[in-house]
Amino acid sequence: MNFKMVEQNIKIMKHGCHKQRCAVVCTIILICVFLQCDKQHNGNQQKSDRVQITYWCSSNQDEIDLAKYLVDRWNASHDSINVQLQPIPASQSSEEVLLAAIAAGTTPDLCSNMWPGAMDDFISSGGLVRLDQFPDFVDYISERVPADLLETFRAPDGHFYQLPWKSNPIMIVYNKNIFHDAGVENIPRTYSEYIEAGRKITRDIDGDGNLDVWMSHRDTKPIWWQRFFDYYTFYIAASGGKTLFDGPEIIFNNEASVKVFDFFQRVYKENLFAKTTFVGDAFILGKLATQIAGPWHVSHVEKFRPPGFEYGIFPIPVPDDYQGPVYTFGDFKNISIFSTTEHPGATYKFAKYLITAEADLKLLEYTLQMPIRKDLTGNPLFKDFFMKNPNLVYFAEQAPFTRGMDGVSDLKEIFDAISQEYEACAIFNRREPAEAIKNAAERARVIIEWNRSR
Amino acid sequence: MSNMLGKIKSSEKSGYLMSLPYVLYFCIFVAFPLIFSFILIFHKWNIVTPMQWIGLRNFVRLFHDIQFFKSIRNTLVFLAIHIPLQITVALFFAIQLNKKIKFRGFFRALFFLPVIVSGVVITILWEQLYAYETGLLNLIITGLGLERIPWINSPEWAMPSIAIMATWKNVGLYIILFLVGLQGIPQYLYEAAEMDGAKSVQRFFHITIPSLNNTMLLVIILSTIGGFSLFIEPFVMTGGGPMNSTLSAMLYIYNQAFYFGHMGYAATLGFFFAFVILIVILIQKKVVERE
Amino acid sequence: MEKKSSIWVYFTLAFGGLIFAYPFLWMLSATFKPEMEISEIGLMSANFSLDNYRAVFNKIPIGRALLNSIFVSSCVTFSAVLFGSIVGYALARLRFWGRELILGVILFTMVIPFQITLIPMYILMVKFGWVDTYMALIVPGMISTFGILLFRQFFLDIPQDLIDAARIDGCSDLTILFKMFFPLSKPVIITVGILSFMGSWNDVLWPLIVVRVRELMTMPQMVTLFKVGGQAESQIGSQLAAAALLAIPIVIVYAFFQRYFIESMATSGLKS
Repeated sequence: MNFKMVEQNIKIMKHGCHKQRCAVVCTIILICVFLQCDKQHNGNQQKSDRVQITYWCSSNQDEIDLAKYLVDRWNASHDSINVQLQPIPASQSSEEVLLAAIAAGTTPDLCSNMWPGAMDDFISSGGLVRLDQFPDFVDYISERVPADLLETFRAPDGHFYQLPWKSNPIMIVYNKNIFHDAGVENIPRTYSEYIEAGRKITRDIDGDGNLDVWMSHRDTKPIWWQRFFDYYTFYIAASGGKTLFDGPEIIFNNEASVKVFDFFQRVYKENLFAKTTFVGDAFILGKLATQIAGPWHVSHVEKFRPPGFEYGIFPIPVPDDYQGPVYTFGDFKNISIFSTTEHPGATYKFAKYLITAEADLKLLEYTLQMPIRKDLTGNPLFKDFFMKNPNLVYFAEQAPFTRGMDGVSDLKEIFDAISQEYEACAIFNRREPAEAIKNAAERARVIIEWNRSR
Repeated sequence: MSNMLGKIKSSEKSGYLMSLPYVLYFCIFVAFPLIFSFILIFHKWNIVTPMQWIGLRNFVRLFHDIQFFKSIRNTLVFLAIHIPLQITVALFFAIQLNKKIKFRGFFRALFFLPVIVSGVVITILWEQLYAYETGLLNLIITGLGLERIPWINSPEWAMPSIAIMATWKNVGLYIILFLVGLQGIPQYLYEAAEMDGAKSVQRFFHITIPSLNNTMLLVIILSTIGGFSLFIEPFVMTGGGPMNSTLSAMLYIYNQAFYFGHMGYAATLGFFFAFVILIVILIQKKVVERE
Repeated sequence: MEKKSSIWVYFTLAFGGLIFAYPFLWMLSATFKPEMEISEIGLMSANFSLDNYRAVFNKIPIGRALLNSIFVSSCVTFSAVLFGSIVGYALARLRFWGRELILGVILFTMVIPFQITLIPMYILMVKFGWVDTYMALIVPGMISTFGILLFRQFFLDIPQDLIDAARIDGCSDLTILFKMFFPLSKPVIITVGILSFMGSWNDVLWPLIVVRVRELMTMPQMVTLFKVGGQAESQIGSQLAAAALLAIPIVIVYAFFQRYFIESMATSGLKS
């Protein structure tokens, strides 16, 4: 270090000091202002004579388009109630976003992406409005929704906090060409028939030693929500419409669950379900004969199928000894009103508008998802639509025979436990079905015991 | 005299003012969280509903939590593979780089590249490399006529696969550290040994390794601390599977807190885990220092 | 004899270099290939296109995430250097009661694994109302204890006479720090700067916890959610493209400042 340099520096220091310090202070202030700015963005409510409602819809593009259409039509004809549309902020899951919003008090007036499985959390946090406080609610909704299905949406305290809106019944979509080529004449109804068909279909076509066609494919990662589309769907079918719980009691440790686990263990053991990951959509590419899917998938297939590709739809297979109508999983999404709303009456009016027959028709047209409605195939309003989309008639007919999630707050954890037992039993073949179900039920019991100590 | 006193006092004042940022930071972001965490251990809380006092029940739950202990075991398995691999590879390349060669800077920079790139990138890349049928590694392996390895699809191979990937990512840093350590070994030690007739293997084990003791300890401790924080790789690549074999402790704690909403329990797990880490590091220190 | 071992050394290094470089090259080429050709060892393809990148830009606001990362990391780096130097100076050159105490506390906190404080820190963010704001991303990183120690170490070596001379001329401590010490401390500033920047840029766990809103996500966070959250729809090309986009900024910076990066990590390692 050079003394002269330093002395010079000291002199410069004293003169240039002031300016430098000011610059630094200014920069810091600017940054703070900027940081505060984005906070204020969130609180912009216009005060006017009109009632202003915020409506959150799903971040799915089709649903955003639908919501925009419905909201614009409403705003055009309702001067006194103005609806502002916002897609749910995207994140890992919309339940997280909603719970965080409830905690922070930043909820909208209503949201149409309410998952029944999270209802317990929403209700216990006090974030939702009781819908049956509106005098016409029960009558109005009973006209639309079948009674037994409606009961599944009633909260443990006897009240309704959700307005049943739409469902996605899960069925099997199949490739007619593959079935024909493999000599499978009849649509499989039972597990045995399905596995028989699978054995005929899963084979090496071009003789290179590798399988080219499989019966089906499922994501084998033990992520809790993946089970909705294999175990849970088949369980609902096999048990004749039961869910995991009956009130507060665990009921899934039954024969039906064991049969379902056994079925999946068999299909994976015989390699009928592919374990590899595919590049691109394997069903459209003709590598899979069937796929467990909802109406959205059918619209996807319709859009992207190559010429000559013929497909059909049939209900979920059931155990060999099963008799009766086939139930399935319907991934329900409902509408709820939040307790932070300043205009419950107006919001309720808008919510009712969202489930009118005309709105339901738009729901079908925009998203191909099924409104939860009794008279889907009977109502003349929908006739044209179903004539243009004959495959969706299957889903419409299945719609009354669907079940959703239990509104239990430990659902994620329980499905997580089931997923792990499923993985050990079906995918890796290291556990027998009966034992796996027993473990899963035991873990579920521990989870509930722990979480319900109130 | 009073002038001097005035100056000392102002230096003290400066001292307090200038260390104030850290003191504030410590109180808000270190002391408070520690205390709060300690309180949280005795409660049940999911943020949305009020806290509930439950005494020691979180600990009871912890000791029955098979998955948690599995996650700790997984993390230890990871370290058991990662650290020796890391040391071997890093030391090997450091020794090569220490020799008289051209392009040393180029190779150094190349080996260091994966260190600065985000773990997310590395994970996404390696997930493709590890793909069973279409991944680069298996393509090469089958090209050599061998059987495919089920890398991240099998409970036995999954954690080792992540350990290999982590080694590939970080070894550059440790190569540099070993290089610095190697360059600190005086050349005359080797020359003297050679004159005494020591072969290169003997020279390696009796001169190189002991001189690198400090560096070795540093490498081990840094790898350990990094290894215990293992989160993003299993989170992105395997979600903790298959069959919970890649469920690292941090991932488990994250799931408990932010996926299932058990804040009190997660805090308990965090404390216990931190305790485990400290013990492991202390053991490592004792072992290496003894050698 | 010498020459033979040289060739063997080069061969080993080249092989090593290949192991470290080829995956990146493969990844880069795969991002330009159509989905079906990705599972090939070779780098070339007749069908290079930007489709995968287009898909990424269409699906997620990755440009915004890039800006967020730049903004957050810059703020964190700036303040880490600023406060690190201020506190480092105080601990190195000023005498006051409690100085050794603070130093001890700093060393002690470095031993505490972050796993304990993670959840309470999150709760703190909730209570402050900082969740989903830039504050949550920046403020907890504003002070780097490592930075403080590095600055302190460096400042200890500056002769006292210089400071005394400046004091007699009537300069305050802040003036001394910024006008005199800073120009002399370039290596430390660069080291602390690089370490802070890199640490902040690559951090994913913390943003995942405190930010849920897309507009504020950092780049690594967004790419993570893109892959894990299913938006990539198992299109490998898009995933790799997103990953490549994430890697590019820091690789560019690395290409220019490579020497500093390596030296920073080396010196910081030694100091610990």
